[in-house]
Amino acid sequence: MYRLDVPDTERELLRRLLPQLRAVLTDEAAADERARRLFPPAYTDDEAADAEYQRLMREDLVASHLAALETVETSLDATELSEEQLVAWMSAVNSVRLVLGTLLDVSEELDIGRLPDATPDIESYALYAYLSNLLGDMVDALNP
Amino acid sequence: MTSRGHTWSRWYDGATISTNALAAERDSIGRVTVVRASTAPVEIDEPTREEDVTPEQPWIVIVWNDPINLMTYVVYVFQKLFGYSREKATSLMLDVHHKGRAVVSNGTREKAELDVFRLHEHGLWATLQRDT
Repeated sequence: MYRLDVPDTERELLRRLLPQLRAVLTDEAAADERARRLFPPAYTDDEAADAEYQRLMREDLVASHLAALETVETSLDATELSEEQLVAWMSAVNSVRLVLGTLLDVSEELDIGRLPDATPDIESYALYAYLSNLLGDMVDALNP
Repeated sequence: MTSRGHTWSRWYDGATISTNALAAERDSIGRVTVVRASTAPVEIDEPTREEDVTPEQPWIVIVWNDPINLMTYVVYVFQKLFGYSREKATSLMLDVHHKGRAVVSNGTREKAELDVFRLHEHGLWATLQRDT
């Protein structure tokens, strides 16, 4: 079991992020860069093979992400999580990071603490950094 | 890969952000703590090195570097999915980080596709290809 010391304000933030993630996962019209990072190619040297792979596996991958989302939504106010629940939290938080990080085009060397306050999308960078720290905490707990 | 090196304590409330907090120190309490430890990932044999790939297992799975996934997270995923020791998982992660890619598993095409799927489930960018 894992104790979750996340303040209510942050849980509220997550509560509002989850529907946005669901929209990226389920909106087929949004075949844009947000979805592309969550559904990368399996073959880079064979378009036909990758088309077949996506045809077979895409639905399962979507279902997997949605299942994690649902687990987080139902345990959003929990103070203790099972390992299975924590893994779901980690999955959902990382999925949001992947989408957000892609939109912000973050680099490996990004140091958010050094960004000027007037940076455009500064709130998004702050959110990305928060989610990174939260993810790090979860990984440290699962793999000490 | 990246690390979460910097410290900050600002959070996003959808309306306003305290700009002063950009340089603030993060509080020292982690958000997640272990109450009762779960079973650690089971370690199995070391992964096959690229030069050990046999004709019966001609497909390799490659993980590519990306600027978003945390290094510690990638190590955890490699341990969890493939049963590698922490040392081997860390070595593979560092290969991805420094060389841009690493072969993390190999096998039949079916096994390789399944490994790719599980890596994608965990947000890593993985591809499969015939070993040449």
